[in-house]
Amino acid sequence: MTDVTTTDEPSSDEQRDALEPKATYGATGRISARVQRSDAWRSVFRHPTSDTPRGRALQSFSNFFLHLYPVKIPARVLKLRYSFRLGFISAVLFGILTATGIYLMFFYTPAVGSAYGDMQQIKTGVGFGELVRNVHRWSAHLMVLAVFLHLVRVFYASAYKHPREFNWVIGVILLLLTLGLSFTGYLLPWDQLSYWAVTVGTDLVHYVPLIGSPLQNLLIGGDQIGQPTLLRFYALHVAVLPATVVLVLSVHIWRVRKDGFAVERASVGAFSEEATDVPGGGPASAPAELYSGRTRVLGVVDRESVTAEERPVDDTVFTWPHLIVRHVVVALGVATAVLAAGVAAVAPLRGLANPNLTPEPAKAPWYFSGLQELLAHFDPVIAGILIPSAAVVALLLLPYIDRNPATEARNRKVAVVIFSGLLAAAVALTVIGTFFRGPGWTFVAPWTHWYVEL
Amino acid sequence: MTTRRDFLRNGWKVGSTLLAVAATWTLWESLRPLSTKSSSGVVKLGNPANFASDTATYVPEGRLYVTNATSPAGAQLFALSQKCPHLGCKVPFCTSSGRFECACHGSVFDIGGEWIEGPAPRGMDRIAMTVVGDSLVADTKKVTPGPDHGASEYFSPPKGPNCLGKG
Repeated sequence: MTDVTTTDEPSSDEQRDALEPKATYGATGRISARVQRSDAWRSVFRHPTSDTPRGRALQSFSNFFLHLYPVKIPARVLKLRYSFRLGFISAVLFGILTATGIYLMFFYTPAVGSAYGDMQQIKTGVGFGELVRNVHRWSAHLMVLAVFLHLVRVFYASAYKHPREFNWVIGVILLLLTLGLSFTGYLLPWDQLSYWAVTVGTDLVHYVPLIGSPLQNLLIGGDQIGQPTLLRFYALHVAVLPATVVLVLSVHIWRVRKDGFAVERASVGAFSEEATDVPGGGPASAPAELYSGRTRVLGVVDRESVTAEERPVDDTVFTWPHLIVRHVVVALGVATAVLAAGVAAVAPLRGLANPNLTPEPAKAPWYFSGLQELLAHFDPVIAGILIPSAAVVALLLLPYIDRNPATEARNRKVAVVIFSGLLAAAVALTVIGTFFRGPGWTFVAPWTHWYVEL
Repeated sequence: MTTRRDFLRNGWKVGSTLLAVAATWTLWESLRPLSTKSSSGVVKLGNPANFASDTATYVPEGRLYVTNATSPAGAQLFALSQKCPHLGCKVPFCTSSGRFECACHGSVFDIGGEWIEGPAPRGMDRIAMTVVGDSLVADTKKVTPGPDHGASEYFSPPKGPNCLGKG
């Protein structure tokens, strides 16, 4: 049982002192060493700071934030092209949106009479108001894009296959929540763009069979967009949906961590997860039931104590610092990008919402313009309800329909071809709806007239 | 025989299900919009003689058009809801073609609100009108769905170029 006790925290101060770095340099070094040995410091940071494998593992174990990560990850997770960090980028954007959104909340009242004036005040009278609003807007668009690309990436990497089926389902729910967040936020400026985009978007709901009209009335709080709609969308946007995202995202990340962060790839050789498995039922002294199945020791264990028996080569690296450093760089990159976008481009604010005048053209937000394009060709029940519902249901069920365990593209041609075809169709519809449609939904080339609304 | 353990094991599931149903119902009932009784929905439209034949007059207070549509059978006044039956955009009246042409998705209606082309599932909704004294009055609470596809009582070829930029 020695390997189990070593995963615990050092039990006495003597043990901790033994783990602390010994060298101190000059007066400041001595002072900081003294501070770090104080009871107060140790009540906050319970782990030693020693830069040894054991010290790093203990840091991960005793730190709430680092505990979102596994202690060790397969080395190839570090490569940028492994995941393009799209899931992490989405999470960073959600963080930026939360921070900027809270700032905007201080200056915004969700009332029909004052919302638009508040927007103008944010643009002209609030410190950094326009910049914060721009960053919020561009981050929102970027988050929809990042979440979508994350889904596409996960599909092509086969990362939805066993044992990650349900995490894919959670991911699809997060995509829907992201769209809901973006759409509810779209109404809040109460300008012509928001009013008519949301009119078109919510009018779709009444085509739902049987419960369509009551459902639409529930959503917009009446029979037309008005004060109840604005308040409902505000409550959804700032409380209900973000809280749901935090909850669901936590489960999503937790499952990524539990599932070992990487997809098993037979062609690469032994899967790294197995490298940390205790082979052959564990040390002879330990009770067998503790090591049945896929028990992992997560690399905290002093290797010699376990590897008395043969085991595959360990290709894992410590999350701290290897992955964390990369994540910090990506987070700074994302923040820089949206800040630059916010400086470079101003988020649109059209005239005050006017229920008596529909602007031409009235377009939905870009991520719904593919849907709007479909609506121009098919019956609303088919284009507005059946096709989107079928798409969502197919996405949710994908891991349970596609039971082929192969992860390489050449061994899963049917899945790749079908998904790529549907993806291309969705992208084509979105591009046409966004760039090639003008007043009356007539065909307009973007180089002659630019009708793109963001 | 059902033991106490079995009873409790299933009982909490039944209980939570009932609670969830009750919570959903309560939420639905509390969030369900109340009918807006404050506004009567009655809009005065003026003297019927003010509406010349083959014209559409927009009445912002009622979010409706009053049209004087002519057909072989005779002239008829309509109060048409501005709301496109497709997805709720305001349908503008195009004076050059003499038709309603929706800028959102390209649905076109004749002056009687009957569907001509585009994705709308039916014609423009009609609002009830009565004559009080010498004045027309519309009741925006009384709406009848527009005529189905195929109705062409008031159809006439376009008078001139359309407003949607179609060829």
